[in-house]
Amino acid sequence: MSDIAREAGVNVVMPRMPAMVRPGWLRRGNATFLVAGLLGVLLIAAALLAPVLAPFDPGAQKLLARLRPPIGFSRAVAPYWLGTDALGRDLLSRCLYGLRLSLALALFGTVLGLAIGVTLGLVAGLARGMTDALLMGFADVKLATPFTLVALLVIAIAGSGIGVLITVLGLAYWAQFARLVRGQVLSLRELPYVEAARSIGASPWRVAVRHMLPNLVGPVVVMATLSFSNLILLESALSFIGIGVQPPTATLGSMVGQGRDYLASAPWVVAVPALLIVLVSLSAMLLGDELRDRMDAALRER
Amino acid sequence: MRFRHFLAAALVATAGSASAQELKVGVQNMAPWLDPGRDFSNVGSQFYINTFEPLVGKDHTRAESIWQPGLATGWTIVSPTVMELKLREGVRFQNGDPVTAEDVAFSLDRIIHATFAPYTVRQRDTLPNLAAIEIVDAQTVRVIAKKPEPLFETLMNTQQTMIVSKRYIMGLTGKPDALEDADYEAFSLKPMGTGPYRVAEFVPNQRLVWERFDGYWGPKAPFQRVTVTRIPELSGRLTALKNAEVDLITNVPPDQLSVLEGDKALKVEGMVTPLFHVVIFNTQNPKMADARLRRALSLAIDRKTLNEALWQGKAVVPTSHTYPQFGPLYMPELKTFEYNPAEAKRLLKEAGYDGFPIRFDTAAAYYTNGLLAAQAIQEMWAAVGVKSDIKVDDRWTGGDADMMARNWSNPMYFPDPTGSFGIMWAPTGNSATEGRFKPTAEYSAVWERFRFSTDLGARKQAYSELMTMIRNDPPVLPLYQPYESFAMRANISWKPLPGHIPYVLDFRAGRIAQAAR
Repeated sequence: MSDIAREAGVNVVMPRMPAMVRPGWLRRGNATFLVAGLLGVLLIAAALLAPVLAPFDPGAQKLLARLRPPIGFSRAVAPYWLGTDALGRDLLSRCLYGLRLSLALALFGTVLGLAIGVTLGLVAGLARGMTDALLMGFADVKLATPFTLVALLVIAIAGSGIGVLITVLGLAYWAQFARLVRGQVLSLRELPYVEAARSIGASPWRVAVRHMLPNLVGPVVVMATLSFSNLILLESALSFIGIGVQPPTATLGSMVGQGRDYLASAPWVVAVPALLIVLVSLSAMLLGDELRDRMDAALRER
Repeated sequence: MRFRHFLAAALVATAGSASAQELKVGVQNMAPWLDPGRDFSNVGSQFYINTFEPLVGKDHTRAESIWQPGLATGWTIVSPTVMELKLREGVRFQNGDPVTAEDVAFSLDRIIHATFAPYTVRQRDTLPNLAAIEIVDAQTVRVIAKKPEPLFETLMNTQQTMIVSKRYIMGLTGKPDALEDADYEAFSLKPMGTGPYRVAEFVPNQRLVWERFDGYWGPKAPFQRVTVTRIPELSGRLTALKNAEVDLITNVPPDQLSVLEGDKALKVEGMVTPLFHVVIFNTQNPKMADARLRRALSLAIDRKTLNEALWQGKAVVPTSHTYPQFGPLYMPELKTFEYNPAEAKRLLKEAGYDGFPIRFDTAAAYYTNGLLAAQAIQEMWAAVGVKSDIKVDDRWTGGDADMMARNWSNPMYFPDPTGSFGIMWAPTGNSATEGRFKPTAEYSAVWERFRFSTDLGARKQAYSELMTMIRNDPPVLPLYQPYESFAMRANISWKPLPGHIPYVLDFRAGRIAQAAR
């Protein structure tokens, strides 16, 4: 803010924050933030360290030790802590590698969606007129179309490589980013400091990058966390119906999908990856929620 | 306590007697259309036996072929190329029309001289040797073959030669006195034959409802109504059965049978199916052209372990492309396929395999254990140094020029090597037609000798020569004959019969009973 204030030659008075009665870490919501954050860090660490932590190669089969339950149940076999799947592969190792791939896919998808959406939103908001109408028209069409159907179509035509999957995931939430950013830009551009910047001859590019983007970071980050958790679920859904990453490579969704026939006879094959999906999306959603609460001035000052 | 038992028994008995007139079946797959002459999928074949009938009947309780009167009461082989059949009198179609010699001639002729494209395929793979059908008189027809035909009875017992009504089909669309392609399309959605059950409702890919045909010439159907519903997910089928929403379900893999054990209300019947799950290669894809590579891929697969692991040892690992149902032509002594990883490695080295990945196509859930077997095979190939990529694709890629390897099945369409190996791998068979297999002149000559010799010894000798050629330059590799299990409520008496083609759900009189308990 100070940069902008200086440039615009305006003396900005920051609103005074309400006096805090308790130390910051005890504020309401902090516990959630802490737990969700810790969970997120743990999951990311597990994913990153998969090659170190996994006791087996995730693809290594032991056909004659199929569908063994986790340690502690009868018929369990010693080194397979979480049991084995329908081809006798170590479930723990597959979960770790599956988590790694699912997180990576959701991350790439989010970054791609964010890049597309923020760019188009900025352009629409700044250019206005025909460009705006056209881009937002696209966004409306995108939002009005059931995306799983579009994803199915794209994958049916383009095949199901990792690149195609990332593209599909990237296209899933760009419209939400674009609408959010455009709305922010429309309101920001009317603010005195932006008008001031324009009036002293700042180029649209400079206005966009220097004055708009920093103010967009908050809402965009919140949107990104929400989109991330949704992408985890979308990737799981696509893999569940068998059109995501091809076997034998595991993602959490494909493990649930391929294990669903064993729900009655070997529930652990589905339960463990399903639990991980819940934990990942829960952690991302809680973090996103908390971030929104903190960044939304209206909520914060209540 | 005793009263409660009594009450429960009474309730069950009432429920039993109330539902005895209706059977509810949950199947994994439902056909998109039903026309016995046009079909050769494993899906439609489940249903035809109840609605349609061929000229020659068969004792389905026996694996070997014991012919019985069907819609023909008797027949004679007039000469090596002519079969004469006496038609049964008083048979009616389910719409009330009498079955005439003209209907019989039409049923065969629509395939032998096909104008509708889907029938031409069946003409090539099933009836290439039939030249014509002639009406002698109102109760007599003659089937004329091009070359001496040793398999007349067998061919007149197939699903493809089941009898349909000419007048009914002609009247379905367009001009009522002309045969149009649209008539055949319409027929496949409103099928009608002479069998004990008429199709009361057919929703493609979803549901089939049969009702008893009271005008049936033979023993009346045991159920007033049979509802067959598609429940694609195994867990859905198991739940529907446990909740008594259905009385019988299909396609339960052996490793799921434990779920049903201990439930006294349920039971399981199963049978090794006369069908091979196979791996096929596109021999015409330049990457797959080297026979040594394909031989190595075949030798690298440990089918016994696949059977132990995926089928709990209940499937049958064959040594050759042969079934007990072939009777005297069953030749398990042939050693066409074996597991020999050392030889596989040697052949790969000799072929100069440079590590390019083999694309292995598989449907997601069409074949029981199909995707699991594909992944296990991928590991077995990796063990001899072959890299492969699995591609899950529910499209049929068997005709694609870039197909390399994929899973498929080779069912027994009729009990002769011609009706299983031949449908797929004869010079006029499906694989040659689709371009993934190109028989040599020598292969075609041996095939002719096998197909048309009337001497059993000569046929066996020729088939053994064919198998040697297949071993040396394999376009196909049978994995195993799957063991298919059907689960049902304990009060249902039904089991798959060895005399049928695979997956047939025979609900005719004497084949199924429901006790009132």
